[in-house]
Amino acid sequence: MTKIARRTILKSSAAAMAAMAAPSLAMAQARPSAARTIRAVFHGDVPSYDPIWTTANMSAYHGGMVYDTLFGIDSKGDAKPQMVNRYDYDAGSMTWTFELRPGLKWHDGTDVTTADVIPSIKRWAVRDGGGQHMMQRVKDIAAKDEKTFTISLKERYGLVLDVLAKTTTPVGFMMRKKEAETDPMQKIETVVGSGPFTLNLAETRPGTQYVYDRNPNYVPRNEAPSGISGGKVVKVDRVVFVNMPDSQTAVAALQAGEIDFYEIPQADFMPQLEADRNIKIQVLNEVGLVGQIRPNFLHPPFDNVKCRQALLYCVKQSDHMRATFGTSKYAKDTPSFFGMGTPMSNDANIGWYTGGQNFAKSKALLAEAGYKGEEVLLMQATNIPYMSNAAQLLAQELRQGGFNVRVESMDWSNVVQRRANKAPPAQGGWNIFITSSGGTAIGHPILLAAHAATGDKAWFGWPSDEKHEQLRAQWAVGETLADRQRIAREIQENAWNFVPQVYYGQWIQPAAMRTNLQGLLSVAEIIPWWNVEKV
Amino acid sequence: MLAYIVRRILMTVPVMTLVAIIVFMLLHLSPGDPAAIMAGDNATTDQIAAIRAKLGFDQPLWKQFALWCFALIQGDLGNSLFWGDPVIVLIGQRAEPTISLALTTISFAVVVAVSLGVVAAANPGTWIDRSVMGFAVMGFSLPVFVVGYILIFVFAIDLRWLPVQGYTRISEGIGPWLHNLVLPSLALGMAYVALIARIARAAMLEVLSEDYIRTGKAKGVAARPLLLRHALKNAAVPIVTVIGIGVALLIGGVVITETVFNIPGVGRLVVDAISRRDYPIVQGVIMIFAGIYVLVNLLVDLSYTLFDPRIRY
Repeated sequence: MTKIARRTILKSSAAAMAAMAAPSLAMAQARPSAARTIRAVFHGDVPSYDPIWTTANMSAYHGGMVYDTLFGIDSKGDAKPQMVNRYDYDAGSMTWTFELRPGLKWHDGTDVTTADVIPSIKRWAVRDGGGQHMMQRVKDIAAKDEKTFTISLKERYGLVLDVLAKTTTPVGFMMRKKEAETDPMQKIETVVGSGPFTLNLAETRPGTQYVYDRNPNYVPRNEAPSGISGGKVVKVDRVVFVNMPDSQTAVAALQAGEIDFYEIPQADFMPQLEADRNIKIQVLNEVGLVGQIRPNFLHPPFDNVKCRQALLYCVKQSDHMRATFGTSKYAKDTPSFFGMGTPMSNDANIGWYTGGQNFAKSKALLAEAGYKGEEVLLMQATNIPYMSNAAQLLAQELRQGGFNVRVESMDWSNVVQRRANKAPPAQGGWNIFITSSGGTAIGHPILLAAHAATGDKAWFGWPSDEKHEQLRAQWAVGETLADRQRIAREIQENAWNFVPQVYYGQWIQPAAMRTNLQGLLSVAEIIPWWNVEKV
Repeated sequence: MLAYIVRRILMTVPVMTLVAIIVFMLLHLSPGDPAAIMAGDNATTDQIAAIRAKLGFDQPLWKQFALWCFALIQGDLGNSLFWGDPVIVLIGQRAEPTISLALTTISFAVVVAVSLGVVAAANPGTWIDRSVMGFAVMGFSLPVFVVGYILIFVFAIDLRWLPVQGYTRISEGIGPWLHNLVLPSLALGMAYVALIARIARAAMLEVLSEDYIRTGKAKGVAARPLLLRHALKNAAVPIVTVIGIGVALLIGGVVITETVFNIPGVGRLVVDAISRRDYPIVQGVIMIFAGIYVLVNLLVDLSYTLFDPRIRY
């Protein structure tokens, strides 16, 4: 029997360890330096690589890295060409002609052509509210040649560029023909874009980290970056999206320099972060988020407009904001139907707000409605603090306003399932749920699905109002900004009468980052990682 | 012995079948719709319904269960609803951090706890004994996340000795690997140190009162060999049992620890999967964990024969 010496075992072990370490050592050598790598933590995980298939913002963040759009919204809110080189339209604005930029290539090295772009537009439009709105007015999308295509309209429509450029999800990202021709209800698993970054699948760990490397073949526009448009010049080699669900850990990791950027530090942590000289706070989305309270139009009591109007007099937005954000300078009231700080914000028909919370008025409206104390089922998402707080406070306010409220606690996943149920509350339905939307989307009468009042076809709550729909249609063909603002006032005047939803406040989420991170661009809904560098 | 092992392995079949039925039913009958989560907040009812149909969730429950069982028998845990990747691959990617954390934690816990238990038992009623038991009470009382945050604050933020979070693969070096595991292992190990130390002390006290120990003392056997060679070996059965239970219980603690220290392990995978209602991942992880429990129990039972020759199977 051969005797194995201790030295032999040690040698073998060392050799085995070295062999195990070899591949990762090679990988480590190929990895960009820390100075050329940004590690960023966001509000959640990337739920799908297909940013068209889902409206989740994290997928749009992923999309912004890998894909490109035909147009982009600049910092002033105007649509500017991005993948498009030139565009034109005929005298009646009924046929729009677009020419793609030269030099555009997919990550696999093939050219971007109209054969890719046209099915991309069509697939995206099936999943997107704005896209659907546009496609109802589109007669045809046709290729003239490999680089030129046309969109022919059935009727005048002033939003073609705005819809193609929008940053609300799903964003109109362009994909290869192969992926773009996939059933819109089917997820795309292959990630090949033409954007400024490529997804490094070898180092990506779904649910943990997503690694994006600079696309060396990307040709940026020869313009300064502005909003989501302009030259997308990448100044680092790698950006890593780190999924870190625990807020306390993320703050600690930022302070220790293990990550460079944290998107959503809670209000409680702000003093701690503001006191750290290595950390800076920056607001990337100036409009922020708007909290929404959605009543269900299908069942009593909110099938009665008087009961919905009563809601307006129950909710005190400043109390809701204080409950979640304390005395934060980042939260405010939003009496406008289009949120505060958007081009369509206005003060039409806000008497309910200026008069303040008025429970007597609410009770009077309920009496007018013939409300007999029917139970109001309020769904509370307990795992999302701002929704949970809002639900608790709202229940109390509604009780004081004369409603008979029952709060049903569940996680957000349950809320999103149950809110789709059109049955009466006693049979699995609901009366009220709470959510939030990006302020930019709230500020746009067409792009936010929740703004449609098309009854059964509308977003959850299924509001129905013919006048609202007529006004939205008029807004879409408004010639000038002044025209649209005038129509927006009319929309708001009408909306605060039929009350499709009520707001509980508007808040801005500042991001925290290491002071050496420079060049982050302010864009609503998406965080761009071009133009950013570590100095 | 062989017959016993075969019998125990065969017994896993009804156990695993029962686990499979309970897990599937619990997940599929509990509210929460993966299609709605996947579609995102602005999706319409029709879009969600279309996704449900694509995923096969509009099929009768018995049919979904039958399909899952059929695949399971063939060793196929299915694909993640969100990622499309095979569940076995996703678990494989996450297994190393969890196994590493579990091994370092239990190693640390066993070494520290058995030592503390033996020391306490050798000095009953003294300040040493009271200190050890006081530490044990504290270890039980403090939740893992509280210990975790305290350790992060002291050793990562304040002293900057150790990283706040993350995991380094063992293939990148033992040093970096351990560097990342120190704080989470300490945080997670506290409760196990407390549990094992108490059991070790009690078992040692019982053995130390046995006649053969007294005989050994009378014959002049030195204190250290008497404690470690004679008493500890005979006190090992309850200690090994509690270590086995500890390994099984470790899984629950691992979930929290992986979240606090941002370790990309199986615990994080299953928590994320539960919140998204990613059924195949949750089902797959639970089936594997159930298998591990059964295996650990079998190994613990078999180990009794090593420590107590009177035990025969």
